[in-house]
Amino acid sequence: MAVNEETLMWVEKYRPKNLNEVVDLKDVVESLKAFMRNPKTMPHLLFAGIPGTGKTTLALCIARELFGPNWKTFTLELNASDERGIDTVRERVKDFSRYSRAAFGNVPFALIILDESDQMTGPAQTALRRIMETSSRTSRFILICNYSGKIIEPIQSRCAVFRFSKLDPKAMVEHLKFIAEKENVTLSPEAAERIVDYAEGDLRHAINALQTAAVYKDGVIDEKTVQNVVGEVSGVKVQVMINKALSGSFIDARKKMYELMGEYGFSGSEIVRQMQRELFKMSFVTPEQKAELSNIIGEYDYRLTQGANSDIQLSALLAQFGKVGKTQGENQ
Amino acid sequence: MSENLLWVEKYRPKKVANVVGNDEAKAAFIDWFKSKRRTKKAVLLYGPPGVGKTTLVNAAANEFGFTVIEMNASDTRSEKAVRAVAAPATSFVALDTFYKESKGNILFMDEVDGIAGNEDRGGVSALLKIVENARVPVIMAANDPDLQKLRPLKKVCALVRFQQVRIPLIIATLRKICQKEGVEAEFEALEKIAQNSRGDVRSAINDLQSLAETEKTLTLQDTMILSARNKDVGMDEVLREYFSAKSLEEASLLLFRSSVEYDNFIMAVGDNLPLRYTDPVELAEAYDFVSQADMFRGRIGTEHWHLLRYFFNDLARAAAVSPQSYKPFTLISPPIRVITLFWTKGKRTTLEKICGKIGQRCHVSRQTAKEDFVPFLKVMLEKQKALPVASWLELAPEEVEFLKKMSKF
Repeated sequence: MAVNEETLMWVEKYRPKNLNEVVDLKDVVESLKAFMRNPKTMPHLLFAGIPGTGKTTLALCIARELFGPNWKTFTLELNASDERGIDTVRERVKDFSRYSRAAFGNVPFALIILDESDQMTGPAQTALRRIMETSSRTSRFILICNYSGKIIEPIQSRCAVFRFSKLDPKAMVEHLKFIAEKENVTLSPEAAERIVDYAEGDLRHAINALQTAAVYKDGVIDEKTVQNVVGEVSGVKVQVMINKALSGSFIDARKKMYELMGEYGFSGSEIVRQMQRELFKMSFVTPEQKAELSNIIGEYDYRLTQGANSDIQLSALLAQFGKVGKTQGENQ
Repeated sequence: MSENLLWVEKYRPKKVANVVGNDEAKAAFIDWFKSKRRTKKAVLLYGPPGVGKTTLVNAAANEFGFTVIEMNASDTRSEKAVRAVAAPATSFVALDTFYKESKGNILFMDEVDGIAGNEDRGGVSALLKIVENARVPVIMAANDPDLQKLRPLKKVCALVRFQQVRIPLIIATLRKICQKEGVEAEFEALEKIAQNSRGDVRSAINDLQSLAETEKTLTLQDTMILSARNKDVGMDEVLREYFSAKSLEEASLLLFRSSVEYDNFIMAVGDNLPLRYTDPVELAEAYDFVSQADMFRGRIGTEHWHLLRYFFNDLARAAAVSPQSYKPFTLISPPIRVITLFWTKGKRTTLEKICGKIGQRCHVSRQTAKEDFVPFLKVMLEKQKALPVASWLELAPEEVEFLKKMSKF
């Protein structure tokens, strides 16, 4: 299928196709290039780091460098958070290594990219370790995760581990400018910095914001537009929920909580994570309050892992916010 | 045609002798029914649901040739309504004896304890008048005879008490039905259904039908689903007592004695707590206890049931945060969670599908698609010009509409 280049999401359109195009990450790229020169020596790889720093991109680059244009035939892409249970993973890996006739030129294996592998439970990872062993003659794994600590030791010790930190803001600004130029979009330097600021080292986020801003106001992106876009895409409902809880409208806050769970299917821990993120964006909450509330969120984030019912824990969390809101209202 | 019947109806006994269990109650009722000079004009049959009160009345009427004029909980029982139906039926003796082989009417008022305060205003006093003026036998049935408002009735009625039907009798009944329906059932499965019914023959038969009707086989494995929907007798009552508890002791005693299903109970507590505590500080304290109770529930899992006492202990503490602040309120039920998830299912599935498509194209999980792509895509689609992107993502027109209309999160 011929893909019309003009209509892509920019994150895909400008995703680096080979290791030379990759933004920042010089050290990682150098070591990977060494493996590429002699693929037989390539071990399993583990990429760990925060979102939007190029882990998946690098994995796809490796696939392209190893197998050329037909890389998809020799590569299995799995996302652990989408595949339910280790059994699906096992079946698909098994099927894949059976049918892919693993061997392409001087590459003696097929590639299995397992994204968000830290979403797998302990037992599932143990099973994965078995799979890695039994299929090691025919396949190489690239495991991608946010926290390498969540990957069990035996797997880590079987992989070459690469850590990805926040991308350099300067490099990100350069990249945004590069894209804007290609797309014939006027991007003011302040706007570019504002986007990078907002994205906090997550290039995917930055590029999505750039594209949205370009659509938002006919091809001219200034700081104001970025401001508007950021306002529109940030967690409005979560902020409203926090607000309601702080101002003592507990029942309304709880209603928002159920909207988040019902309409968008967010889990308890996802909502807690968003609360944490949005809280720090709320300008009328003082830094002291933020620290106190953040502490409470942390407590309930932990309780969620212990409890049986996330509704109860989230409700209790919102109720604690109500208490903080009331006592601080009285002090002022 | 009988294929479509509920088995409870299909196999409802037509003869008194075939009504299962409660032999003493049966004898007492028949004595009252057959006696020429009744000391009391009415009889009140009371006992738990599904033990055969209605069945017995109908079987007796059938056997002795009476016509039953029945009112039950589905009719409103304001004074007017009671009079409209009951008065003619009671004051004119057996009008239809002329064209039916009926020896007369009996008035049967089922579920009289359901006569609720407001809608059925004056219902009980109307019942009393009818009993006084009645020239036909009046039979009433109730689940809970101790209710305050029925006290006046108890004075003018003969009382007949029904008990839970014993498990072996229920098993025998289920077996008979299985034979007639051609169901092959494991004995353990029938035993499990019978135990689960707590002496309620009706619910046992209903469970049997729901589990075995289509497959015509029934194994113990099949019955496992039953424990999941164990019925809750009197959840509202327990909740009401729980929220109005005057002390920690009272709340703990109540919880340890009650037999409510704890997972449903804690959910109901979660829904109703903000109505109980309107002060944010009290509410926060109470929810903290409920949260701790939930953590014990998490630790209990499926095996550490000895921890259940700590679960109850924390729940009791939540009820006793501030006894003096209690004001009566209307309970919320059914659970908000269940309702919300039911009504939003369509939205969730559409969103999941959209995120799946984004994930395919952009090498991300559905979750990442939801959080990192959907908000941007929505803004772009609102501005219209990004429609080509939508077709690249292979979004259907209705999915594009959905994203545009969706509220922000």
